[in-house]
Amino acid sequence: MKFMLDMHDKMRPLFEKGGKLEKLWPLFDAHDTFVFTPADTTHEGSHLRDAIDLKRVMITVIFALGPAILFGIWNAGHQHNLNAEGATAGILSDMMQGAWIVLPIIFVSYAAGGVWEVLFATVRRHEINEGFLVTGMLFPLTLPPTIPLWQVAVGISFGVVIGKEVFGGTGMNVLNPALTARAFLFFAYPVQMSGDAVWTAVDGFVGATPLSIAAATVEGSSVVEALTSAGYSFSSMLMGAIPGSIGETSALMALLGAGILLMTGIGSGRIMASMVVGALVMGTTLKLFGSSAFSDLPPHYHLVMGGFAFGCVFMATDPVSAAATARGQLIYGFLIGVIAVIVRTINPAYPEGVMLAILFMNVMAPLIDHYVLQAHIKSRAANRGLANA
Amino acid sequence: MLVDYINLALNQIFVENILLAFFLGMCSYLSQSRKMESATGLGVAVIFVLTLSCPMNWAIREFLLAKGALAWTGSESLAGLDLSFLGFICYIAVIASLVQLVELVIDRYFPALYTSLGIFLPLITVNCSILGASLFMEERGYKFGQSLVFGFSSGIGWFLAIVALAAIRKKIRYSHVPQGLRGLGMAFIVTGLMAFGFLAFSGIDLKTVTKKAPEPAAPAVEAPALEAPTIDIPSDLEDEDLEGEA
Repeated sequence: MKFMLDMHDKMRPLFEKGGKLEKLWPLFDAHDTFVFTPADTTHEGSHLRDAIDLKRVMITVIFALGPAILFGIWNAGHQHNLNAEGATAGILSDMMQGAWIVLPIIFVSYAAGGVWEVLFATVRRHEINEGFLVTGMLFPLTLPPTIPLWQVAVGISFGVVIGKEVFGGTGMNVLNPALTARAFLFFAYPVQMSGDAVWTAVDGFVGATPLSIAAATVEGSSVVEALTSAGYSFSSMLMGAIPGSIGETSALMALLGAGILLMTGIGSGRIMASMVVGALVMGTTLKLFGSSAFSDLPPHYHLVMGGFAFGCVFMATDPVSAAATARGQLIYGFLIGVIAVIVRTINPAYPEGVMLAILFMNVMAPLIDHYVLQAHIKSRAANRGLANA
Repeated sequence: MLVDYINLALNQIFVENILLAFFLGMCSYLSQSRKMESATGLGVAVIFVLTLSCPMNWAIREFLLAKGALAWTGSESLAGLDLSFLGFICYIAVIASLVQLVELVIDRYFPALYTSLGIFLPLITVNCSILGASLFMEERGYKFGQSLVFGFSSGIGWFLAIVALAAIRKKIRYSHVPQGLRGLGMAFIVTGLMAFGFLAFSGIDLKTVTKKAPEPAAPAVEAPALEAPTIDIPSDLEDEDLEGEA
């Protein structure tokens, strides 16, 4: 380590202002902060100021994603082995197989996104930071394991460039870049992103996800029974050893991640809680008043199906694209929950609604903040008896 | 009945938002979204004009212009007339006079807003979303009640879109946006991304929940039908429409 640090410091003048490689400073800086532990703290980006560097915040998110990543890798292999060979293989073989499927996707996401990130950082002279590590990891976790690699590259390019860099980089974006990338692929290449054949990495194997089974339940029959007969119970969906996007099947792993994010104070518990409440309220309303078979689903099932838990913990709480005011966050989370359930239950075009609900509320978040602030200003003025303030 | 109206209203606000699904009325939307106040003011003005112009144009069409509409006069020769070729000019005349009215009111009671809206207030006359709404109404054969709800909710949709854009532009005001994209360029990109967000609702039909769905839900879609809502603009309209936008 000492040897590396010496080399690193020896090269520093080359990159500093006036040095030969001055233009490549962001790269040097990235190496500096990724590998060593410099004393920098953040002054801009997703928070105004803090005692820690933005990089520490982002790396904590990566740790929180850990359980979901590992489980996703295992599950991808598990599903493959289960359906290709018809028997469960050992955990080791599942992991190996899963790594074979998932790691290329993650690698392509990082490589393609990284090229854009470095290009923009170099030309525009901002720092490269772990914000991208989070985006580049969240994005593959929302994809089906059968996704063609070139689509991964196209998607992350769109997400990083249009979703983030044109706004000026980390901390400036309006929409969550990983979700922007995901939605872009969803609308551009629906065949590879939805349907029943994409969720298991075995050619020609068709395995419906709980959501598509629920949506396909015929009028008059019970949606819970339909799920049970397909092998999905509440607990199996909570555990998540089922077909689905790489990282999102297990609500339990997302819950672990939520624990880490809440303990370190990085994720907003306010958003997570209000989103769950929103989904439960809407689920109950639909159960009481709706009449399609899907709307009869017990509300708590919505929390473990599809990408709800994952989106709730890792996507909706993105501090940049979420609402910033305390009251605004409550409204924001609540509406995401409501809209997600509405879209997945009512909209025949999309089996899953969490992603689109979060994107929609990302669009509305600044407006919510604006109105919350105006209301606050008004109530303060009223309290102090200021006229026309 | 009420459910149909609510369905139509939600449809106009979220699913077929006149701005973010049809991209009508872009010019004032882009130019007046720099400040929250002017965006709100213009939004309210558009709601007002749309709410009145749609039912008024409906009445004009229903009782004066459509084929056989003049039958109520009792005269044989009038009953045979088809004056629908006068549609555009009549609609525009109604819209223009409504805008005059709005202008008088705003000038009298909100002089600051009047100054900040400037030329864009009279230009509501040629705001595509307003003439567009009247033409959609005609195309889809709405009844009176529907046209009222349709106009009002289209206006709400337009209002929502412009204030959301204004809030986003306020948020990114100090962002380090590439030089060439500052201002209008960014507004276009943000508008595109907003339309992305609104896609969440495309395809939603309240009827499927509130009434007994007649057909079993289609098995999970292989490739969801994601085509944009079809825009039926008569071909002879397009030219004038573009000129109005410019």
